[in-house]
Amino acid sequence: MWTRINDFDRMFSAMDLLHSRLGRYFEDYDRLHGRGRALSGGELPLTNFYDTGDHFELQVELPGLSKEDLAIKIQGNYLEISGTRKAEVPEGYEVHRGERGEISFNRSFTLPSDVEAEKVEAKLRNGLLTMTLPKAEAAKPRRIEVG
Amino acid sequence: MSERKDIVKREERVPEQSIPVLAPAVDIYENDDEILLHADMPGVEKDDIKVNIDNGKLELSGVRRLVTNGAVNWEEFGDVEFSRSFSVPQAIDVNKVNAQLRDGVLYLHLPKSDNAKPRQIAIQAA
Repeated sequence: MWTRINDFDRMFSAMDLLHSRLGRYFEDYDRLHGRGRALSGGELPLTNFYDTGDHFELQVELPGLSKEDLAIKIQGNYLEISGTRKAEVPEGYEVHRGERGEISFNRSFTLPSDVEAEKVEAKLRNGLLTMTLPKAEAAKPRRIEVG
Repeated sequence: MSERKDIVKREERVPEQSIPVLAPAVDIYENDDEILLHADMPGVEKDDIKVNIDNGKLELSGVRRLVTNGAVNWEEFGDVEFSRSFSVPQAIDVNKVNAQLRDGVLYLHLPKSDNAKPRQIAIQAA
């Protein structure tokens, strides 16, 4: 009887092992084809948004776009970013793989508060757009002295 | 019970807190003289990119380290390693490989070595 339980135990541990190994393969697969990998037709670029107190900071992932390809609009607390990247197939070459394709997007944000549109800065570096959006005076945090 | 130990041992080898690895999207073009490879690597600095060609295998790797400040409202992307390898069947002239990074896209020119280029054979009249 005990030997039989031992057999079961061994069988289950083998299954556990198989399961954990398979799990690892699926993880790798997810990494290869997973979320956030690429921005292809119809998808929106990925963004990060931070609040430093005095201003907001927005980062946008835009590989292969130059500043001429971008349009940014701000009004009050509404921000709109649009852009396109054309597929740049060189002439006379045979295409083996074309995963990058064309990009065309329009993403808009409602900012948590109004910003001073004239003082907004936008920098594009290494395919990463970084925008610094100073909050409007009324929205800035204020220290209150206790009288 | 020996199998269980195997599981434990494997767990121990998994490196802690490594940044996620993503395969960058690539375009690959070829003509008679060269192979072109364009890879999206947004946010990666030039010095953090490695291109390795060895024995018919081409390995790309670029690490992105974001500089951020302030409280996070939302974060859709983060630090990541873009990594991908390709096999290159044709002989590549390693000394003439040219790599450029422009707007977060890596542009690689891989010229074929002379004996890998197609050759026109002249037929002589007997």
